Amino acid sequence: MTLLHVENLRVCFHTRNGTTVAVDDVSFSLAAGKVLGIVGESGSGKSVACYSLLGLIPSPPGKVESGAAWFAGDNLLTMNEKALRNIRGRRISMIFQDPMTALNPYMRIVDQLVEPLRVHAKQSFKDARVKAIAALEEVGIRDAAARINDYPHQFSGGMRQRVMIAMALISEPELLIADEPTTALDVTVQAQILALIKTLQQTRNLAVIFITHDLGVAAMMADDILVMQKGKVVEQGATERIVNFHTHPYTKKLFAAVLTSAKPVPSAARVTEPPFLQINHLHTGFIAQTGQLFRKTKQLIKGVDDISLTLREGEILGVVGESGSGKSTLGRSIMRLVDSQAGEILLQGKDLRGLSGRALKVERRHFQMIFQDPYASLNPRMTVFDTLAEPLLLHGIATKATVLEQVNQLMDDVGLERRFIRKYPHEFSGGQRQRIAIARALALRPKLIIADEPVSALDVTIRAQILELLLTLTQKHGLTMLFISHDMSVVRYLCDRVVVMHKGKIVEEGETEKIFASPVHPYTRSLLSAIPVLEKV
Amino acid sequence: MEAIEKGTSLTQDALRRLRKNKMAMVGLTILLGMVIIALLTPWIAPYEYDAQNLDLGASPPSTAHWLGTDVFGRDQLTRIMYGSRVSLMVGFIATTVALLIGVFWGATAGYLGGRIDAFMMRTVDVLYALPFTIFIILLTVIFGSSMLLLFLAIGAVEWLTMARIVRGQVLTLKQQEFVEAAVAIGLSPRNIISRHLIPNTLGPVIVYATLTIPSVILLESFLSFLGLGIQPPASSWGSLISDGVESMEAYPWLLIFPALTLSITLFSLNFLGDGLRDALDPRASGD
Repeated sequence: MTLLHVENLRVCFHTRNGTTVAVDDVSFSLAAGKVLGIVGESGSGKSVACYSLLGLIPSPPGKVESGAAWFAGDNLLTMNEKALRNIRGRRISMIFQDPMTALNPYMRIVDQLVEPLRVHAKQSFKDARVKAIAALEEVGIRDAAARINDYPHQFSGGMRQRVMIAMALISEPELLIADEPTTALDVTVQAQILALIKTLQQTRNLAVIFITHDLGVAAMMADDILVMQKGKVVEQGATERIVNFHTHPYTKKLFAAVLTSAKPVPSAARVTEPPFLQINHLHTGFIAQTGQLFRKTKQLIKGVDDISLTLREGEILGVVGESGSGKSTLGRSIMRLVDSQAGEILLQGKDLRGLSGRALKVERRHFQMIFQDPYASLNPRMTVFDTLAEPLLLHGIATKATVLEQVNQLMDDVGLERRFIRKYPHEFSGGQRQRIAIARALALRPKLIIADEPVSALDVTIRAQILELLLTLTQKHGLTMLFISHDMSVVRYLCDRVVVMHKGKIVEEGETEKIFASPVHPYTRSLLSAIPVLEKV
Repeated sequence: MEAIEKGTSLTQDALRRLRKNKMAMVGLTILLGMVIIALLTPWIAPYEYDAQNLDLGASPPSTAHWLGTDVFGRDQLTRIMYGSRVSLMVGFIATTVALLIGVFWGATAGYLGGRIDAFMMRTVDVLYALPFTIFIILLTVIFGSSMLLLFLAIGAVEWLTMARIVRGQVLTLKQQEFVEAAVAIGLSPRNIISRHLIPNTLGPVIVYATLTIPSVILLESFLSFLGLGIQPPASSWGSLISDGVESMEAYPWLLIFPALTLSITLFSLNFLGDGLRDALDPRASGD
C-alpha cells in the first residue's frame, strides 16, 4: 500500500537576485513500512524536498510551485495550515541532524516528550508521562523513569539523538523523516543509532525517509534509493539495483568517492637520526574552574595524557579517535596553540616546548596547520592574495616584488586559477576554500603539516579531490603530515601508520593495513566495525 | 596573461545593498547637505552671527530674515547655520574619539583575556558608574568651558559602550580558526588584533557609531541647555533650543526652527544607521 506519493514536486526560492529552483520535478512513492533513502550532496535539494511536504520551508522566499504529495489520500501541498499541523508531529514525525540544538535547553526532557501527546491526543500529563518513559526505554535509555526529569545538557550527543527519536515516535506516526540523523555523531555512536532506527522501523512497521549524504549509510538502511543532484532526481530504484547497476555519471562519481581502498602510493617514510618528530610523555590539560566566587576549585581536565610517539620524515601518520579523545588537543599542542604542562615535542631534535617569543615565531615556519572548517579558517575581510601573502612577507620568504609570483605558484599548486587571487573567501565554494587554506599552510614551505579533520566538513565528491590533492602535495614537497580524523576510511586511504586515541591515551599504534586487518584493542575494533560497508552483491 | 577577476569585498557588497535602501540614501543625502552647508557657512551665511539689530527685535519669518530673528534682532537662519558647525563637529569628533579609544580598548581586552581583560573591563565598569553629567560639570568648572574640552569629555564618556561591543565581538572572533591560523603563522598579537580582529568587528562598530553621533549631539544640546556648553554669542543647536524654550509662547519660531533642524538630522542619522546595520549583516549577503 502506498503511504506517500509525491508527483512532480517543484520548489523555488525567490530572492532579490532572482529565482533558484531548489527542487525540480521530483517524484517518488513510499509504501507503508518501507525505507526510502534520499542521497545527495549539500545543495542538492534533498532536505528542501522533504521539508516542503510539511510546509516547513521558510516562505517567502521559498514557494512550492507545482506538484502534489498524496499522503493517505490527502494532498499535503494544498492542505491548510491547521490540517497540516494535525499531521505534523502526529502522523509524520521528523528527526534532525543536530541533537545539540534540536532540544530546548531550558525544558526538562519529560516536558518536551509529553508535548506532542498533550497537543495532539489531549492526554493528561500523568498518562503522557507513563508513555514517555516507555518510549525512552524503547530507544535504549537506561533508568528512564529517573532520567526523564533531566535537562538536555545532562545527556551526551548520542543519548540526545535517542531522546529525539523517542520524541518523534511517541505519537506513533506512520512516516518518519530522518534528516541526516547521525552526521553530527561519533562513528561508534552513529552505528548504534542507525541500528536503533532500523530496529524500530521493523518492529513498528514504520515508513522512513532517510536523508543522507553517505551512500554507505543509505545502502545499509534503505529499500529504495533516490539520488539527487542540483534539485533533480538523477537516478532512483531499488537499493540493490542502484548499488550494483547504477548508470548515471553522477551516481558513478558518488560511488567512486566512497573510499574502500588502501593507500594508492607506497610510504615515503625515511628513518632519520634524530627522528623527524618525537613526542615524549606529553601532557596537555585544561583548567576548569568550578564552585562559588570565593571558593573556586581548580580542576585539570586531561586532554592529552602522557603521549609518546614518533613520526618519521615523509610519513603520513593518522591520529584517529572520537570527539573528546584528545586528538585535536594533541595537534594543537604540537602547533603550540595550547600550552602543555609536561613532556617534550622534538622537531628534528629541537624542543618546541622550550621556545617562546621570537625564537618560536621563526621556528613556526617549519610546522603549519590545516583546519577543519574552511568557512571559519579564512579571514572574511582579506582577499586570497592577502591571505597567502601575509605569511610570505612576515617570514621574509618573498619580497614585495616577488610576492605576486609566489602567490600565483601556490594557486597552481593547489589547483586554483590564478585569476581568482583578488577574490574574497565568501565567493568560493567549500572545497575551493579548503584549497586556499592548504595553500596558506604550504606558503611557508613547512616540513611538518598538521591537518585537523581537513575533509570532514566537505561533501563526499569534494572530499575525494582534496585527499588526492593532499597526497600529491606531500609527495611533491616531501612533507611529513600528522592527519587527525574520526573517519577510518579516509585514514586508510591516506595514512602510512595510525595511532588510535581514546580518552587522551594511545591505545593502539601500527601500520595502517595491519590495524585494519587485525585490530587488537577493543576500542579500535568498535571504531572499525562502525564503518558502513558498501557491499556489492 | 589572463585577466585577474576583481572580487567584491564584504564592504562593496554592503555598499551595494545600502544603495538599494531608499530611506538610508535619503538620510545620507540630507547629512551630506548639512555638512556642506556647515563647512561653507562663513561664506554663504546671510548675516554675521553676532550682528545685532536691536530696532528689529524678535520678528517672525520674513523675506529679509527667512527664519525670523531673535530678541536681539540676530538672524535665526545664520545662527542655526553657525550652530550646525558646532553640533556636527561635536557629533563627529566626539564619536571619532569614542571610536578610537573604544575599539582599541575592547579589542585588546578581548584578545588578551585573563587578568588583563578583567582589569580593563572593570575600569570600564567603574567609569560607567560615574555620573557623567557631574563628571563633565566638574571638568568645565576646573578647566573653564572650552570647545576642545567639551569634545574630549563627551568622547571620554561615550567610548565605554563601544569598548564593550568590540570586546564581545572579539571574544567570539578569536575562537575562529582563522585567528588560530594567524597565530600558527607567527603573527604578533598586535598584528592579529589590527589585521584580523578589528576589520571583522567593523560592521557593528560602524552601526553603533552612527547611533552615537545623535546621542552626542543631544548630549551637547543638553549641556548647552544647562549653560555648560557653548556660550553666546556663539551658538549651537542645543543653545538655540534652550533660548527658544524660554520665549516659546511669545516667539515660537525661535524654538521650532532649531528643533526641526535637530530632529531632521537625528532622523537622517537613524535611517542611515538602520540601513548600515542591514547592509552589513553578513547573513544578508548572497541576496
